[in-house]
Parts: sequence; C-alpha cells; structure tokens
Amino acid sequence: MVGNPSRRDHSDHASRSDRARPFGTRAGSPFAPTVDPGAMLDAVGVDDLESLFDIPAPLRFGDTLGIESRSEQDVVREVTGTLSRNDSLTEFLGRGHYEHYVPSLVDHLADRSEFLTSYTQYQPEVTQGFLQALFEYQSLLVELTGLPVANCSMYDAATALGEAATLAGRVRAVEGSTVLVPSYLRREFREVLENYTAGTDLTVETVGTVDGMVDPETLAAALSEDTAMVYAENPTVEGVVEEHLSEVGTLADEYGALFCLGSDTVALSLLQEPAAVGADIVVGDASVLGLPAAHGMGLGLFACREDFLRQVPGRLVGATKDEDGRRAYTLTLQTREQHIRRERATSNICTNQAWVALRAAIHAASLGPGGLLSLAEQCHRRAETLAGRLDAIDGVEAPVRDCHHFREFKMRVDPDAQRVAAALRSRGLAVHPLGADELQVCVTEANEHRTDDLVSAVEGVLG
Amino acid sequence: MEFDVPEHLRYAETHEWTDEHNGTVRVGITDFAQDELGDIVFVDLPAEGETSQRGNAFGVIESIKAVSDLYAPVVGTVVETNHRLRDQPELVNEEPFGAGWLVAFDPDEGTDHLLTAAQYREQV
Repeated sequence: MVGNPSRRDHSDHASRSDRARPFGTRAGSPFAPTVDPGAMLDAVGVDDLESLFDIPAPLRFGDTLGIESRSEQDVVREVTGTLSRNDSLTEFLGRGHYEHYVPSLVDHLADRSEFLTSYTQYQPEVTQGFLQALFEYQSLLVELTGLPVANCSMYDAATALGEAATLAGRVRAVEGSTVLVPSYLRREFREVLENYTAGTDLTVETVGTVDGMVDPETLAAALSEDTAMVYAENPTVEGVVEEHLSEVGTLADEYGALFCLGSDTVALSLLQEPAAVGADIVVGDASVLGLPAAHGMGLGLFACREDFLRQVPGRLVGATKDEDGRRAYTLTLQTREQHIRRERATSNICTNQAWVALRAAIHAASLGPGGLLSLAEQCHRRAETLAGRLDAIDGVEAPVRDCHHFREFKMRVDPDAQRVAAALRSRGLAVHPLGADELQVCVTEANEHRTDDLVSAVEGVLG
Repeated sequence: MEFDVPEHLRYAETHEWTDEHNGTVRVGITDFAQDELGDIVFVDLPAEGETSQRGNAFGVIESIKAVSDLYAPVVGTVVETNHRLRDQPELVNEEPFGAGWLVAFDPDEGTDHLLTAAQYREQV
C-alpha cells in the first residue's frame, strides 16, 4: 500500500458506498468487519497513514491509475466478447508446444483446495500430501532419465537449459567455458541461454548439424579443452529422433565437458534412456503431461548425476522418517538456495512450478508405465503415418528428413510454403511455414481426428 | 562457553587455523567456528594442485543452518585434502583440530602474518 487511499479520487466508488448505506453502515455491518483507521493511528500514536511509510518521492506514483470502473457483469460481457474473437483453428503446430489429452482426473485432484496454494511447501508438518506428489514427480523423472537426482521443477525447458549451463560452469570437474549448442536450437532457447550466461565466464557457440542431427565428426571438430557443455535434443525441435547420442556422450566425456540432453516426459518413455547414452544432465519440458498446450506456460524438467547434488538449482523434495519412524517428505538441501546461501546460491530462481508439477505427476500416474509407453509409441506412429499420407500427394515430400520422427516432421512443398500455410489457415488448419518451401506438421491424439481434413486440404491447395 | 584454542597453532580472523609442519601448512576451522556453524553436513574442497591466494575462497563448508566460504590463510598450492570428510563431514564438529582438518598447502609463505593463540582468544 502506498499513500493514503482516502486521498484518491474514487467518486464513483464513493457514490456506490453512499447508496449501499441503508443496508449496513461502515461501522455496523455484522458480516464484514470494518476498522476505523483513525482509531488505529491513535492507538500507535501516529497522526496519519502517510507517516507510516518512508517511500522517497521519486518512487511514488502520484497520478491516478486511469482504470475505468465497471460492474462485474459488464466486465464479463466485455472479456467474453474479446475472447470470442479468437480463431478456432485446429493446430498442427508443435515445435516445443504439444497438446496431449489431459484426463479429467487431473483437474479433479489438482483443483482440491489443499493443492491450490501459492505457498512453498516449507512446512512439512502441514504439506505431506503435496510433498509426496512432488517426490513422486521427481521419482518419475529419475525413472525416465536414468539419472539419480531430479529437482521438483524449473520454470520451463529454456530456463532449465540455462541452469544446466551455469551448473556446468560451477562444478569443479569441468574446466571449460564454452557451451556448444546444435544449429536446430530454437531461437527462444538460445536467447534465454544467452541471458543466463551473460555475466558468467560462459559463452555459447553453435555447432552445425547434418540431416537435422548432431553429427559426431562436426562436433569433434568443434570440441576443445575449453568446452564446458554439449547440448543436444531428442527428439529435436523438428521431431527428429537423434541417432548418434552415444557418440556425443563419449565425445563430451573425452573433452571433460558435460553432456546435456533436452527431451520431454512422453518422449523419454520410449526413446533411449539418457543415462545410457552418457547424459550428465537432462532438461526439457514436463508440461507435455498435465497441461494443455498453452503456448507460454511450461514445466522445466531437470535431472542430473548424483555428484552434482549440491550444485542442483531449485527445490528438492527428500524422503525421510518422522519422529515415529513413518515415511515422511520434506524440502531438503536448502543450503543451495537463495534464502540461505544468498549470493552464493546455485540459482537465482527461488520458486518453481509446484502445482504444474503436481498436475504432471497425476497425469503420469493415471497413465502408468504402460500408458506412457503406449502414448509415446502413438506419437511415433502417428507422425510416420501422416507423413506417409502427405508424401503420396504430388508436390509434397514428407518427411524431409530420412529418419525416425516423434510427433512432428518437416515436409517440403512446391512452390511456396507461406502460401500453402495461408491457404490451410483459411480452411481452419494451422501449420508452421519454415523458410521458402518447408512446413512443419505435428500430430497427437488432440488433432488426429482432423488429419483427413489436413491431407485433403493440402491436396486441394497443391492440386 | 570456553572454546579450545591450541597454543601451537596460528589463526586467521576468518576462523581458520593453520599448523605448519615439515614444510606444509595444514588448515582447518576452529572449535569456535564449528560451534557457530552447527552440524556440518558437507565440505566442498579444492582439487589437489589448485593454487590459492591469501584470503581467497578455496572451498565451502555447509551446516544444517548456514553455508560459509573457507578462506585460504596462506598463499600456496593444495597438496592434500581430507578425503574422510566426504563421508564423515561431522569430523569437523567432533575433532576440528584433528581428524576434521580440511586441506594441506605447500605454502609460498610462512604463517607469521596470522594471529597467535592469545590474539585469536581475544577475538572470540
């Protein structure tokens, strides 16, 4: 609170209060306790509210906020009207945002009031349920990555990548200061990574790829004693399933660099286990489970080797025993974090995505290991099937890359990708145009029912 | 409370002790420091061969309630670290001047610039 609210001009509000008075005066309402600021000020011996605050004049906002006052009903009508202007395109977009069906069970459990809290689980005595769910989320990541330590979330995949880089810069086992990223890395990830490394000794360099994959020979030429970390994705942002990850892991190891692999919780259910290909850190997006594709909100997964335990960013939930010897959960190793370690903390991030992680954990648990694997297999099969159907159309080559794909793939069209994307858009279908003659298409159970429409629309546009 | 301040050691104002012996300087934290920190749960020590300037942070010591940098009391090269602390960090609490030592330096200087036991006793 800044300044004295009674000084502000709220004529509209004041007149409504006057009208309301016959039903309960300020002092007399039996339902809403009201206080008399004057009596409180008298009690503490202060003349006015203003003297309780010591905010320098230049920092004060002296103007009115200029917010028009409207009734709730008016606001609902206006917002609904604005929302109705959204298009209703069926998205085949992907490229980092994936829509999977979220069982209603997830909403039902996650919306319980015990879970709908902005408070961190600092008090184990009152948050065992939430802590257990977060511990299970971590355990899920440990099983999927094969790495023994996982935190209970970062903001999103890009910040998790940034944290991986700064971890590489901190650990004693790593001497280098260059972070090598593949040329397919999304611009947004690159920018977040650059933000993280600004102000550290780390620099980011791009390594060329061959056929959309990290190429061991090209990587070997780029590696040096100065390399701190090598990053690759599986699947890549183009849906390509990487084929040389073991070689990447071995090469990184030879140069004393860490190997950081980007993936997601569905893909990890099917693809090679990161620990088995020598990954030291796994980052990525865990919100493929539990959340609809919101094109913004994410859930950063972060897992790593046990010897980096004290260097892990973010919150960790540990299992322990209570006074009576029963299994119990608590936030642990908090001396890494900012509220204790201050400027020497492992990360500037001092919050996380607990509720989103809860949703991801519930979704994963409701699918079970078999359900997760089946979902992942469908992600592979659907992409290959749709690519095959599009490839049969004259003027289309799909997929462009000759390899396995997961959820999405690139297709080459003749003659103009922008024109094709615009024509599909006018038929209610959204795809990514990339460059002059390529489109990227993503298919999951959420849009599979429109694949016939997509195929015939592409035929129509090119025919 | 009376803290142990052995007479034959030299002390840094930042509560490290040094023991110069046969050309190496062994370093630990004092009885007072371990008591202030509380139960030590982790000690992060440098690799052997690392060099250190006087006053530089050469490691980190972590207790259940605080994290502190360890400052090098002398200029020198790390020749040995106390590996037992990896599994038994509580040795720092139990025997701060004995089995709970941290690192040994091959020093490029003596320890005369450090506090004597009497001077350190004044400080704590």
